[in-house]
Amino acid sequence: MIISITVGVLVAGGIYLMLQRSMVRTAFGVSLLSHAANLAILTSGVPAWREDPILNVTTPDQAADPLPQAFVLTAIVITMASTILMLALSVIGHNDDLLRAPESGESHRP
Amino acid sequence: MTTPTILLPALVAVPLLLSALLVVVRHRWLERLLMVGVPLATTTVAVWLVGATSHSNVLVTNVGGYPAVFAINLVADSVTALMMLIMSAVTAVASLMLTLTDEDRRRFVPALVLLLHTGVNGALMTADLFNLFVFIEVMLMPSYALIAVTGSWRRLGIGRMFLLVNIFTGTLLLIGVGFVYGVTGTVNLAALADAGSRDARGASALAMVLFTLSVKAGAFPVHGWLPRAYSGTSGAMMMLFSALHTKIALYAIYRIYAITFGKPGPVLTTVAVIAVSTMLVGAVASFGETRIRGILAYQMVSGIGHILLALVLFSERSLSAGLFYMSHHILTIAALLSAAAAIEFTYGSGRLTQLGGLMRREKALAACMAAGLLSLIGLPPTSGTWGKLSLVLASAEGPGRTPTIYIGAIVLASIASIMALQHLWREVFWGPLPSEYLPDDPKKGRGDPEPLTDDVRVPTRLKVIPVALTGVVIAVFFAAGSIMPFFGDAGKSLIDSYPYMAQVMP
Repeated sequence: MIISITVGVLVAGGIYLMLQRSMVRTAFGVSLLSHAANLAILTSGVPAWREDPILNVTTPDQAADPLPQAFVLTAIVITMASTILMLALSVIGHNDDLLRAPESGESHRP
Repeated sequence: MTTPTILLPALVAVPLLLSALLVVVRHRWLERLLMVGVPLATTTVAVWLVGATSHSNVLVTNVGGYPAVFAINLVADSVTALMMLIMSAVTAVASLMLTLTDEDRRRFVPALVLLLHTGVNGALMTADLFNLFVFIEVMLMPSYALIAVTGSWRRLGIGRMFLLVNIFTGTLLLIGVGFVYGVTGTVNLAALADAGSRDARGASALAMVLFTLSVKAGAFPVHGWLPRAYSGTSGAMMMLFSALHTKIALYAIYRIYAITFGKPGPVLTTVAVIAVSTMLVGAVASFGETRIRGILAYQMVSGIGHILLALVLFSERSLSAGLFYMSHHILTIAALLSAAAAIEFTYGSGRLTQLGGLMRREKALAACMAAGLLSLIGLPPTSGTWGKLSLVLASAEGPGRTPTIYIGAIVLASIASIMALQHLWREVFWGPLPSEYLPDDPKKGRGDPEPLTDDVRVPTRLKVIPVALTGVVIAVFFAAGSIMPFFGDAGKSLIDSYPYMAQVMP
């Protein structure tokens, strides 16, 4: 239940930030949203407390489900890469409070 | 069955490693060779795969040698083989176009193209929903960068939009996959057989996956990102993207629905509304565009509706018609985009108002464009004829009053497309020549306007690809009789997924 509420709060915050004009806030919004996704996946396994899923250390009936953990690990890596990309875009882009498009050195005719 | 077990993993591993190599070794000719050569090599393998997967043969490799239930499966059946053949061939041609317009000299373009190719091959072959998510991300990650390095001054803003749309839907897809795992305890497609038609919880989890994929496919009402993002890049880059991103999402929708639902269900009613409105909205919205590639992008949206309609009908005939339509659409759009890229490269603009009178000046390209536009509408002698015809014939077999709606929508969309495309034709190929043009400028992308003189013509090297692709589009019209059986096979293996499941989960 606590995890479900946390997911809800994270999604709400993430969507709110994504709707902001500034790219940096949007990037934060996306990372909140992906946290929510990670928690949602973790709960799709067994959310109760279990032992570490290591062979020959814990028996399968006590171990946690390793697959959602592997999913989340992969998802974190992917999100990190895209967060870096978004932060880079927020630096090389234009000032978000302006209405004009960025100067890129290329000419353009309306 | 003797499968060279190394082959399927190599289709992912080789482009990935060579892409890494190209980041380190920056030799121009090596870059060009690998960027065109690797997709060509994939095409060759795919030709072999088409032969090897005939008669419902399914090739499976369990990577790492784990037992089938735990392993990472790479699977190739006749659908995979056909799609891989067409997508890798168009990737090779688009890469060639990138080298001809010198866009491969932008930073890391060859390495990124190979990474994109890796993701596409992986997404086509994987039998695991989570790996599908991973491979789609592998495919999109280089695309974000490729959008940012080529194209017009709009590209930065467009790069943001494309990135956000795809990351947002990617996250939703991930949550969907998580739900599927939570409900069924597996994400392996073969183990998920009939998970959607068995109970409502499985169906809603899978529906979430399907609908996020349809955002990535560019279906109405979330198609808006596609025309804006694609027409903001360069012509050759749009050629590469249009054959891959949306089509991979459509392929995944076909595959996942066919295995997990396996029969027409309530989800398809929603898909039917989406498909019909995508068809019509794409066709009508083509009117409002002021650039060649903007119009073509909306025609892509309309095509996506047609391909989804084939899924709605869900019969062996309709699915093979859908796969044929998808292949025809990839080829036709690639031919049109290569011609548009050649025009834009030479005259410096794709705006309808800044072009005109090109019919006498660029006879070969005008002929290519004409054939391509006929193919989009579905008139002979082009591949589009059989695409539309087989779709109409499949719609006619639908239940109740649906044939009237579907065929009516196809006809309406075609009529709207004819009118929008003749607008394109009139503005670009008829009328007076423009008085000035924007020459190519290596530093700024586009230089300042200069008077259009008689020696400004599309160079011959840029005409080769449009002419060759148009040749293929016309050849498909005449060779349809010998091509269709392959698509018939593919449609059959989608409907009857038993061989697929039996091989993946023995």
